Amino acid sequence: MDINTENLAEQALEIVHSAGATTGQVRIAQHDNRTVALRDGQVENVATESSIGLSVRVIHLGAWGFAATTDLTSAGIKFAAQKAIEIAKISAAVSTDRVELLPEPQVGKVSWNLPFEIDPMQVTDEEVIELLKKWNSVVTKNAVVHHVDAHAAMGKDLTYFADLDGNRISQQRVRTSAQLTAVHIGENGFDDMRTCAPPAGRGFEYLLGTGWDWDSELAALPEYLDEKTKAPSVSAGNWDLVIDPTNLWLTIHESIGHATELDRALGYEANYAGSSFATIDKLNTFKYGSEIMNVTGDRMADFGLSTVGYDDEGVAAQEWDLIRNGVLVGYQTDRNIAKKIGLTRSNGCAYADSALHPPIQRMPNVSLQPGQQDLSTNDLISQVDRGIYIVGDKSWSIDMQRYNFQFTGQRFYEIKSGKIVGQLKDVVYQSKTPEFWASMKAIGGKQTYLLGGALNCGKGQPGQTAPVSHGCPTAVFENINVLNGKAEAGL
Amino acid sequence: MSNLTLSQAVDYAIELLSDSGGVVVGEVSNTANLRWANSSLTTNGNTVEQSLSVAAFLPINDPATAKNIGTAVGIASGQITDLASVANLVDKSRQSALAAGVAEDANDLPTGVAAKDFHDVPASVDLAELEHIAIGLNKVFENKHSEYFGYCEITIDTLYVATSAGMKTRFEQKTSRFELSAKSIDRKRSAWSGQSGTSLLSVDVHSHGVEVDQGLKFQENQIEIPAGKHKVTLSPSAVADLMIYLMWTASAREASEGRSVFSAPGGGTRIGEQLTTRDFNVVSDPEFPGLQTINQVVSLGSSSFTSTFDTGLPITKSELISKGKLSSLGSSRHAASLAKLPFTPLADNIIVTDTSGTGSLLDTAKRMQNGLLITCLWYIREVDSESLLLTGLTRDGVYVVENGEIIGAASNFRFNESPVGMLNRIVDAGQSIACLPREWADYFARAKVAPLTISDFNLSTKSDAI
Repeated sequence: MDINTENLAEQALEIVHSAGATTGQVRIAQHDNRTVALRDGQVENVATESSIGLSVRVIHLGAWGFAATTDLTSAGIKFAAQKAIEIAKISAAVSTDRVELLPEPQVGKVSWNLPFEIDPMQVTDEEVIELLKKWNSVVTKNAVVHHVDAHAAMGKDLTYFADLDGNRISQQRVRTSAQLTAVHIGENGFDDMRTCAPPAGRGFEYLLGTGWDWDSELAALPEYLDEKTKAPSVSAGNWDLVIDPTNLWLTIHESIGHATELDRALGYEANYAGSSFATIDKLNTFKYGSEIMNVTGDRMADFGLSTVGYDDEGVAAQEWDLIRNGVLVGYQTDRNIAKKIGLTRSNGCAYADSALHPPIQRMPNVSLQPGQQDLSTNDLISQVDRGIYIVGDKSWSIDMQRYNFQFTGQRFYEIKSGKIVGQLKDVVYQSKTPEFWASMKAIGGKQTYLLGGALNCGKGQPGQTAPVSHGCPTAVFENINVLNGKAEAGL
Repeated sequence: MSNLTLSQAVDYAIELLSDSGGVVVGEVSNTANLRWANSSLTTNGNTVEQSLSVAAFLPINDPATAKNIGTAVGIASGQITDLASVANLVDKSRQSALAAGVAEDANDLPTGVAAKDFHDVPASVDLAELEHIAIGLNKVFENKHSEYFGYCEITIDTLYVATSAGMKTRFEQKTSRFELSAKSIDRKRSAWSGQSGTSLLSVDVHSHGVEVDQGLKFQENQIEIPAGKHKVTLSPSAVADLMIYLMWTASAREASEGRSVFSAPGGGTRIGEQLTTRDFNVVSDPEFPGLQTINQVVSLGSSSFTSTFDTGLPITKSELISKGKLSSLGSSRHAASLAKLPFTPLADNIIVTDTSGTGSLLDTAKRMQNGLLITCLWYIREVDSESLLLTGLTRDGVYVVENGEIIGAASNFRFNESPVGMLNRIVDAGQSIACLPREWADYFARAKVAPLTISDFNLSTKSDAI
């Protein structure tokens, strides 16, 4: 950052300290982002965005006060610090719930950087555009493709956190993603097929082939689309599903990731994102799924989108169990809510998507661990007599307490007697979280493990988005309700 | 931002762009909010965000002939502190334009004039608006038979928009939003009430409290209703969420390319097709009383709906569906020319009416005689693009209507429905009222919508969620 972050932060801390705040936290964050979009090989948009701001969060009279500004002058800092105190006073008059934070060991002055090879914000626009044009030309060689939408997004965050406890933490993270969708227009409608590459906590090297085989996926995409246009529509009913990590990560995100957020379990999101069926009384007893189900939360995974050195309350990154042998054993916490359920330390899930928003409890990397036996996806498919192998994510929806969900995907392969016989289409799978995870009868090994994820997980009011990763192997689920998307629409 | 005002920064950027043209938008967003849960305030904030966005145009010449072959556009946004930081953004946007090459949607900017109020300072939020809500909540929280959750926000956006074709306009837009949820202590019942507007001072917190308490009362009698196709009355909020998605999908370009629910079989669009025999209308109108919004195109970026080159063109009333017939589809000038349809920029509001609709939501539900009254829809996502099949959940109140009276409440359900396909199953409607779309309020809060009764609404499966 091209500003004197330390000086600005010290000014703000001095004001809130003088006003009597018991807790004072200052965050200065710079977010640089670039998006490039091509439509049918033509550049539709190329845009860069850089934002920088400062926020002051206090606990005063037992209540939160938060204010933020993009005016990084002494006057702007003074405005934000005084507003934070003023709002805490308004809140204190109506708050029955006094805010207290769990203590956290002081780390002092530290810095942490997510490793990468090529800074995605230093690459030129030309390089990104040329890459997407090359991809476009690869898929349009096949006449089945009539339209192509290609998109790349990359970003870099520089943050500085300072508090009245003496912490001064500087961090740097990057992320990179791209998607390409091929569209076929037929006589009786249209179909599309999208790449499955997930966004990653990597530099621009990711789009050049480090961590994902773009060349193979792009070369195969038109064939996948062609087969889909000719595929039979699925028969609704119960099917065994073999779910690829490119699809299962999203099911994990919705049915486990959000369900094990402690703020949801405590009701803090009840008006908006919702609450959770995984309430506190179920901790250490609730059977979430089958015994082969082990799920961890972490802020440390290599290339993870939620990976940090320290969270936005100064808590060092950790890894912990959420579900062990199918039983709920943990939550995601920040320093305020962890104290409410008697924990002795936050596991470091406070996050704000910009300096203009207050940190709230956000999702770490939540990952389903692979099986002890290193089974391949083909090994798993061979165990299924009548089923569907699902690849890639598409539509998703889940209810307010994370029970009833419905997902689709990019490709659906019919399995007969342990072998793939061809694509199906219009597949929609629907289940309830505990029933779905209880039906998981087999799980792939490390060789099938993949880190999926999203850049745009939404939560909170005012709304915040967060990038997050989810690792998982391929897994097999028995007797899952499959709907036909066209039949559901009455067609 | 030192002594440089945002409007001065916009002026300076336009001056720097004078040789090749462009569009500059300065934005100040001043917002204050309160959030509460479990009958206690939780988070809050007051933020002021300023940014400058520059869309630089650049003539592109054929390297062989040196003849002009078109115009490129690149966009850069960021915070500014001084004239040098403005110049830096202009440089960045030019670099992006150079990389982008000829813009497919390049067009002449409309000529404009400088408004007298262009240099007026940005409006700021008065924290008295939050205090008004906090005082109201104190009273609501006295009811210990329920727990209350919710959120309120007041935002004033001030935009300084200038183009190299002479336009210099200042827009000021206020948006307020209030939401109150109530849950029974055993968390087996839940109700919601919301209100959009331009000031939190107009919110009667007490009346919202009465409304959600009444909802919880209705829910004391839980009635088992199986999943399946039911006659339902959708609240204005629920209808708004479905019709907003329909509007977001109503793109002339996608339809004409054959990749939309509004594409006609064999080519062309479905414009002119009767979607329902009722006198049903979906309109976007920036001058609509109570829902006024920006009445000129302000675009930093290109899509099927909008183009940077259209900045400054007037937005007028657009009838997407008129008397039940698909009448127009949204577009930029470029998209309209590709689709061979009239240019149709859409405003940031939606008005949904059924001319024969009478009475309130409750009146409409009672006229249904037997069916379900659905308060809110949630987690709406597209399942099938060809039919525009959407899925989602009912939320915070599915009331059972029997013989024209509410007799209790059902569980929540997952629905699978198309907002286009369901139009020919509208059997009754009420009067349109201003409402807060539950799902899309973060992005779209200006709506005046009628409650609708729909036959055979597909409630696919039950949801145990409260």
